[in-house]
Amino acid sequence: MDNLTQSQWISLLVPLLVLQLALMITALVVLVKAERTRGPKWLWAIIIVIVNLLGPIAFFLFGRRAD
Amino acid sequence: MSLSLKMKMKMKMSTGMQKWLVLFRKEWLEIVRSYRILWLPIAFAVLGASQPITSFFMPDILASAGNLPEGTVISIPAPTPPEALAGALSQFGAIGLLLVALSSMGAVSGERTSGTSAMILVKPVPFASFITAKWAALVLLASLSLAAGYGAAWYYTETLFGSVSWRDALPAVLLFALWMSFVGTLTLLFSALLRSAAAAAAAALATAAALSLSASSLPFEQSWNPGRLSALAAGRLVASAASPAGGQTAGDVWLTVAVTAIAMLAALFASARAVRRRPADA
Repeated sequence: MDNLTQSQWISLLVPLLVLQLALMITALVVLVKAERTRGPKWLWAIIIVIVNLLGPIAFFLFGRRAD
Repeated sequence: MSLSLKMKMKMKMSTGMQKWLVLFRKEWLEIVRSYRILWLPIAFAVLGASQPITSFFMPDILASAGNLPEGTVISIPAPTPPEALAGALSQFGAIGLLLVALSSMGAVSGERTSGTSAMILVKPVPFASFITAKWAALVLLASLSLAAGYGAAWYYTETLFGSVSWRDALPAVLLFALWMSFVGTLTLLFSALLRSAAAAAAAALATAAALSLSASSLPFEQSWNPGRLSALAAGRLVASAASPAGGQTAGDVWLTVAVTAIAMLAALFASARAVRRRPADA
């Protein structure tokens, strides 16, 4: 840990955060655009934002109604 | 509906291969539209990257846990680079397989209830093409995701721990890809056999877990068992992770691979039969 400078730290963690953020934002956009969802929209919004990684996935799997 | 119309027009004058490509394109389009093309690779990449990072910081995490008695000395040997990469594979073997099964659990049963399968199968489409197009799309998606995840794990392992030879890393990931495709095929089979999507995912995962458990815990030699594949994959990276049955000869590994391939073929055959018997839910 000591042999990592701060910029090295950032370069390690930023790609991970960017990926998760991209997934979260896509899920939120799909949620807002969807006409109907399975379950209340506000609840899905909370789940997508709070539950890291698995929240957006759960929304894509179970929240969308196919129409 | 426009999609099905397009298909109808294309199928009027097409050979078997062209028909199959149309079906495959429809499956792939669905993967894109359901955002599986996005979330499955990202999930694998995040899983693959966080495993080396977590094991790199494990000593610090434990040290800051704070509920250890005074003067406790924790010495965890830092994992070797191949061990770190094998750790990522074990993540894929648990959460990764769960996600793969969940992403394809409704492959057939969902189309039966929505009426899509009825719409497709009234056209002169062989049942085998219907199933194999689904299977190919599923395996392609799973392989892309595994590649993304393994690539991320490899990159982070190289940066944090040191290099792993591709001679070890490549066979390991190929064996694991076969195991993952096998579980995907099981999901497709159970999705064709059972009405409920959740039951299909559960049945596929339970079968995979049972095979894998019996391979690792039963005392006799099981060269035929596909459940050995994930242990074989890890064994390519870390010698001690190989199954307790002892030294693996190359012929042994090929036998497992061949049995898995045959089992996958049989599962596809059974799925096509199940679709022929019940093409749609009334």
